[in-house]
Amino acid sequence: MVSLFFSQPITPAAMTGVEEQEKLLEDAVGVVKVQAFQMKHCLDKSKLMDALKHASTMLGELRTSLLSPKSYYELYMAITDELRHLELYLLDEFQKGRKVTDLYELVQYAGNIVPRLYLLITVGLVYIKTNRYLKRDLLRDLVEMCRGVQHPLRGLFLRNYLLQCTRNVLPDVADGDEQEGTVRDSIDFVLMNFAEMNKLWVRMQHQGHSRNRERREREREELRILVGTNLVRLSQLETVTLDKYVKLVLPGILEQVVSCRDAIAQEYLMECIIQVFPDEFHLQTLNAFLKSCAELQNGVNVKNIIISLIDRLAAFSQRSDGVGGPPGSPNQVPGIPQDVKLFDVFSDQVATIIQTRQNMPPEDIVSLQVALINLAHKCYPDRVDYVDKVLLTTLQIFQKLNIDKLEYNSAVSRELSRLMKIPVDNYKNILTVLKLKHFAPLLEYFDYEGRKLLAVYVITNILENETLIPTQEQVEAVLLMVSPLVQDQPDQPSISSMVEPEDPEDFAEEQGLLGRLIHHFKSDTADQQYMILSAARKHFSAGGSKRVKYTLPPIVFQAYQLAFTYKGLKDQDDMWQKKCQKIFQFCHATITALMKADFAELPLRLFLQGAIAIGEIRFDNFEMVAYEFMSQAFSIYEDEISDSKAQLAAITLIIATFEQMSCFSEENAEPVRNQCALYASKLLRKPDQCRGVATCSHIFWSGKSLATAGKEMQDGNKVLDCLKKGIRIASQCMDTSVQVQLFVELLNHYIYFYEKGNTAVTVQILNQVIAKIKEELPNLEVSEETEQIQKHLANTVEHLRNRIESSESEGLSYQGIAL
Amino acid sequence: MSFFGFGQSADIEITLDGVDTRKTADIKSEDGKKERHLLYYDGETVSGKISISLRKAGKLEHQGVKVEFIGQIELYYDRGNHHEFTSLVKELARPGELTHNTVYPFEFANVEKPFESYTGSNVRLRYFLRVTIVRRLSDIVKELELVVHTLSSYPDMNNPIKMEVGIEDCLHIEFEYNKSKYHLKDVIVGKIYFLLVRIKIKHMEIAIIKRETTGSEYIFAGPHTFTENETIAKYEIMDGAPVRGESIPIRVFLAGYDLTPTMRDINKKFSVRYYLNLVLMDEEDRRYFKQQEITLWRKGEKSRKSQTASPHMPSHLVSAETGFPQGAAQNGPPSISSCPSQSVSSSITGIEDIHAPIEGMTREEGDGEGEKEINTESN
Repeated sequence: MVSLFFSQPITPAAMTGVEEQEKLLEDAVGVVKVQAFQMKHCLDKSKLMDALKHASTMLGELRTSLLSPKSYYELYMAITDELRHLELYLLDEFQKGRKVTDLYELVQYAGNIVPRLYLLITVGLVYIKTNRYLKRDLLRDLVEMCRGVQHPLRGLFLRNYLLQCTRNVLPDVADGDEQEGTVRDSIDFVLMNFAEMNKLWVRMQHQGHSRNRERREREREELRILVGTNLVRLSQLETVTLDKYVKLVLPGILEQVVSCRDAIAQEYLMECIIQVFPDEFHLQTLNAFLKSCAELQNGVNVKNIIISLIDRLAAFSQRSDGVGGPPGSPNQVPGIPQDVKLFDVFSDQVATIIQTRQNMPPEDIVSLQVALINLAHKCYPDRVDYVDKVLLTTLQIFQKLNIDKLEYNSAVSRELSRLMKIPVDNYKNILTVLKLKHFAPLLEYFDYEGRKLLAVYVITNILENETLIPTQEQVEAVLLMVSPLVQDQPDQPSISSMVEPEDPEDFAEEQGLLGRLIHHFKSDTADQQYMILSAARKHFSAGGSKRVKYTLPPIVFQAYQLAFTYKGLKDQDDMWQKKCQKIFQFCHATITALMKADFAELPLRLFLQGAIAIGEIRFDNFEMVAYEFMSQAFSIYEDEISDSKAQLAAITLIIATFEQMSCFSEENAEPVRNQCALYASKLLRKPDQCRGVATCSHIFWSGKSLATAGKEMQDGNKVLDCLKKGIRIASQCMDTSVQVQLFVELLNHYIYFYEKGNTAVTVQILNQVIAKIKEELPNLEVSEETEQIQKHLANTVEHLRNRIESSESEGLSYQGIAL
Repeated sequence: MSFFGFGQSADIEITLDGVDTRKTADIKSEDGKKERHLLYYDGETVSGKISISLRKAGKLEHQGVKVEFIGQIELYYDRGNHHEFTSLVKELARPGELTHNTVYPFEFANVEKPFESYTGSNVRLRYFLRVTIVRRLSDIVKELELVVHTLSSYPDMNNPIKMEVGIEDCLHIEFEYNKSKYHLKDVIVGKIYFLLVRIKIKHMEIAIIKRETTGSEYIFAGPHTFTENETIAKYEIMDGAPVRGESIPIRVFLAGYDLTPTMRDINKKFSVRYYLNLVLMDEEDRRYFKQQEITLWRKGEKSRKSQTASPHMPSHLVSAETGFPQGAAQNGPPSISSCPSQSVSSSITGIEDIHAPIEGMTREEGDGEGEKEINTESN
């Protein structure tokens, strides 16, 4: 594999294995140790010339081309460590006044350039430290002479050594002695070193075989910190003021970054600039920085750079909250000077960047917009228009790119949904989001899945923040926004297609959210609330049979609630009765719509609930309306409910409801009662019949009507009839276990009425029933059911015993009861 | 000196005036050893005393005693013939007898010493005093070597050397040495500017080559003409491969090397010339080089001292020489205006130079054969 034809310095090293690298490094370090020892030995004996020779030999190891960057780094560290001894010795000698004549010249006789320059830097530093008037000239000399090393790896490390050595001696005064130098000289020095290092670093990319590109890039990544240190050094110069940064430092850096035309370098260095220099500087140089971003290579991820800057500035603006700018301008954004139009600058420059960088992927463009929106939010929380502007820009970009639909889970779609979620999350108020004119149009770019996901997100947000939506327009807007949940979409994948059908549980959950959402449609005024409900119904009715089950009931309940509200307002609103009637018409229609969607029990319950509501509100004409509701319930029972268990449940519910109501005149109550009794006795299964009529007995006792003026009617005979009928039916049951069970239940009914004072129920009757039970009970086979029945009976008997014992106080006699 | 153990003999001792105060200088003898002798300059008087001490009592008959001041060129391949370019004689004693130890003062006033002492590979130029006691059978002779340095004043014309050279479509460079004439303690300062680089350069060095030509320069390739090249110094000035637009600084201190002034056609016998050889080596070990003659001259000591007033102050820093480019270095393709050396060049050499054909460099293949041929002496 070793290419003999491309004896690039780095290539053979990396191609030979790890072991060989270790061996090479070990050998080199061995030489370094020996030479360093000799050097120190000579220094101890004050033989400087010999020491320098050993130092030079030691430094000669850095001329190698065989080491990988990592190994070279280790070698460099070992050697520079040893060079410190020489430096300290010389410093000591110089400070004692024992200077060596022409030392600076002397080390330049070294024949090889790499050792020569390391020595020159070491000696130069000693000169600078002992004679500050040499500082400026020596710094210039050193940085200039280092040009002699053009080999990337060796040059980078040499210049890194220069930078390390000089870090504490760079002039850092605004004005000063000419020879000592000023910060201006330091800037020139570091910028020059930076430019040269960057050139070397970039050059690595273009050396060697193209198949090694990946490895080369990895190696460059390892070395980038060497280049970046230059920028760190610049940022550490305290006398670099904003003015100097704007005029000298940044232009110098940017020119180098842009002109090097290397994606890796550009990306890293721009990021470096953002990170090492203070925010206050960035704020004043946005235009220059962002303009340079537009000029970067195509391979550069400009998006990340800009996002990084925006994030930093946004964080800055939040951190510096309350610090404020110059006094006297209280209305400005905290931390960000008023004259810096942060958002506008970014907005314009980002637009330019997008325009100039034609091949930028759309997801990156959207990411940039995400960053912009974040900026707007963090720095200008009240400027909804800024956010909207970003949305508009995004919209325009899509139009320009001729993007039609964003496929679910594609990169763009993900970015866009990130974008759209930001205002939702930040405002925590859907009403503010509704103010964004371009929010809804942008939603249209998602495909069905995407829109649905966002719809769920929006609703969840409303629910979590308990946002109430007070006007009809807003309700409509929200419903449009979440329309993928509200109704079928033209682009929805049809059931018949190959797409996996929706998980019914997920569907139920989504629709459940929608149902909860309805409870957040709440206006302060009743009339408005009505408008909201009718608008909402209009939307939800279009949802199809799958959805109305979840969405219409909440509307009906909201409507009932509204009716109660009107009742509460009856002193203020003359029209309340009419309005209530209208509401119940609305409900009627809504429930009917549900019926049409082939639901039975739900409308039944809603009608019954409505009937109770009407009964309580009692507006004009209430009886008629209530009767209508009741009769609707009955007809549903008749027409739609066929399952016997469901029938029993339904009739029980109807009976229970009717028992609660007192709003009917006898004329209307009579048929209802009879109808209940009739339906109960017409149930299919005997046990059901039995239980039905037993239940029915109660409407004859505690049922109320207008005729009784709200009092219980207490028709004892009718009650007894019902119960007798129950006994008869129970007797017809073939299964004795069921029979006994029913008897026990009936016994309980009897006891109830007996205790309620129904004179038609006598102790004899009770005894008969008990006797009947006792007769049959022993015949039952031992089973769980039997046990239950026995228990039930035992409880009942226990109850009776208690009653007997305390009968005196109750005034009700159980005399003659046979337990 | 007595051959037969009889007869009188005498020792001669030459003591030059100011032996303790006069400067000395090293010079290689013919066998390569370094010798130290008193140093004289052109026009200086050579004077001193000659002591003759008799070995035993008795008299010494002689045909006369004389002292000569001789400057001569010796060609090693022509041992028999010494070419004396200077020969002065002083009669110290007429023929007669010496009966006791005698001291003779002598003086060669304001002697012309036109050439510098030199010991090369094929030629030697030397000055010496010779005292001879002439006798009938064998003369008693004593010689004393002197070293002569020729001093020059600062040359009137000392233009920088600036040249654009290259190999077509392969390598174009422009190099610049700040002077064409350097004194022996001087510093060569310059830069190489890369205009076009299509080869993978490994490193670049500057070699100082001494070329000694013996025999008349006008009769080249004659049987008695020899040329010797010696690489006095090799100095790496660049490591790695530059790209176009790079400018590499050169700074070579000459003081550390064993150099003599340039000597041209000394008495029509020999020449010593110096060349700077700029060598670029590519990764296939091909060498590209360009030789450029420089003139070396010896400068008076006094003026040199005044130049480097403080030994602790580094001289010849870049800032003083070439100026320091302000701001960040340019990247990308070099434009004419952005390159400082280029602008200097056009201002000096005029516009027509830009269109002038590029002078060729020499390229040699990687076997190093060619280089060997040139540098025979160095191996």
